[in-house]
Amino acid sequence: MKSISLYEEKNSTLNHLDSGCKMLYMVAAILVPALIGNKWANVAVIILSVFLLAISKVLRKTVPVLSVSGIVILTIVIIQGMFRAGNTTVVLQLGPAAFYKEGLLYSLGIALNVFNILLAICVLIFTTKPSDMVENFIEKGFSPRLGYVFISIFQIIPQMMETMNTITDAQRSRGMETEGSLLVRIKAFLPLISPVVMSSLVDTKERAIALEVRGFNAKTKKTFLNERKVTTTDKIINLLLIAAVLASVAWRVKLWLG
Amino acid sequence: MKKKLYNSPWSLEFNTAALVLIPAAVGINYLGKLFAGVLKLPLWMDSIGTCLAACLAGPVVGAICGAINNIIYGLTMSPISMVYAFSQAGIGIVVGLMAYYGRMNKIGGAVATGILAGLAAVSISTPLNIAFWGGTTGNLWGDAVYALSLAKDLPVWLASLLDEIVVDLPDKIVTVIIVMGMYRGMPKSLQSLYQSNGKIESLD
Repeated sequence: MKSISLYEEKNSTLNHLDSGCKMLYMVAAILVPALIGNKWANVAVIILSVFLLAISKVLRKTVPVLSVSGIVILTIVIIQGMFRAGNTTVVLQLGPAAFYKEGLLYSLGIALNVFNILLAICVLIFTTKPSDMVENFIEKGFSPRLGYVFISIFQIIPQMMETMNTITDAQRSRGMETEGSLLVRIKAFLPLISPVVMSSLVDTKERAIALEVRGFNAKTKKTFLNERKVTTTDKIINLLLIAAVLASVAWRVKLWLG
Repeated sequence: MKKKLYNSPWSLEFNTAALVLIPAAVGINYLGKLFAGVLKLPLWMDSIGTCLAACLAGPVVGAICGAINNIIYGLTMSPISMVYAFSQAGIGIVVGLMAYYGRMNKIGGAVATGILAGLAAVSISTPLNIAFWGGTTGNLWGDAVYALSLAKDLPVWLASLLDEIVVDLPDKIVTVIIVMGMYRGMPKSLQSLYQSNGKIESLD
């Protein structure tokens, strides 16, 4: 069964780091440049994230994630470069289309911000197992029932995708067309989606019974199958990240007061 | 002791079935998006599960479904969609309330629900679009409207609002109509499975 999670076990340094550490890195990487409010801070954190992804051997996997947003960024550059209110200085003239300096700088700011957030999240999700993250949250007091919901999604979606393939084949063999004009394609949508919906709703009934039989609603304190190990390195990194966030908060306050 | 709210749409007590409905609904959203992609439909169709869960189990479950849905998208496809968790949660709340007040049984009510859900999504997404993308949505038709409005010297927020309306409203109306069809055709035993806070009356 194909997993939908982007996580990959590469046995890298970041794989062995505690999940809490990487979550804190993500928060800090987004907060610090936002608080400092300087483009160069963004660039610095982007370089740091790229470095972390490279030593975890997952840099190539970020390309599809970035290219999805890359297309959006491209439209932003075009639209803001040409139409942003306050555009006065022309820097590039392509036939009838003129690109203005103010709009291009504005869209550069957006692009840097978006790429920074994307890479920071990539560092977390490419190197951390989703169930580790959820377990970490549950340990900190997150509801175990909702934790189950999160973990089970990663198991249910691949299952449903298999059902979807079966149903697509079945409906095609009955003569349903999935290609052609828009009307034909719209008509194909319902016969494809409704059997999956109904079967997955019926499945929830059985799953609910199975869970209740195994004490899902028991009020006692839950124990963990995998024990978490927080090493000294993890603690030091956590402290450094918190210090970085606090320092940038102080910087921001100083800017406001001064 | 706090008074127990029977049959309130805001109850926070879910039975196990309602809880298990959440992953199923997220899966349905995922598949809807996938099918729409395979069939090259011009709509997203990525909130069928959220709306269905909201109809079956109420606005709170609908909101949780919507939020979790986008968090999972963020973890598996495009991290930036995590911020739109709020708009999906808004859709869940609106559809859940409309279903609770019995508007999801007729086509007119479904269209009204779709419009309201679309407007909820628009009003939550527009500020997010402006903060993150400077106002665009990344959808071809919507962004064409955005560029046109800016060229006509409309303010950014209005251009972004129009952009989002063009993209979101038709999608939500079609989604809610499809959901109404499924919801009405569902066996009663399935419909009542997820209601967790009904009052139990004794006969003697």
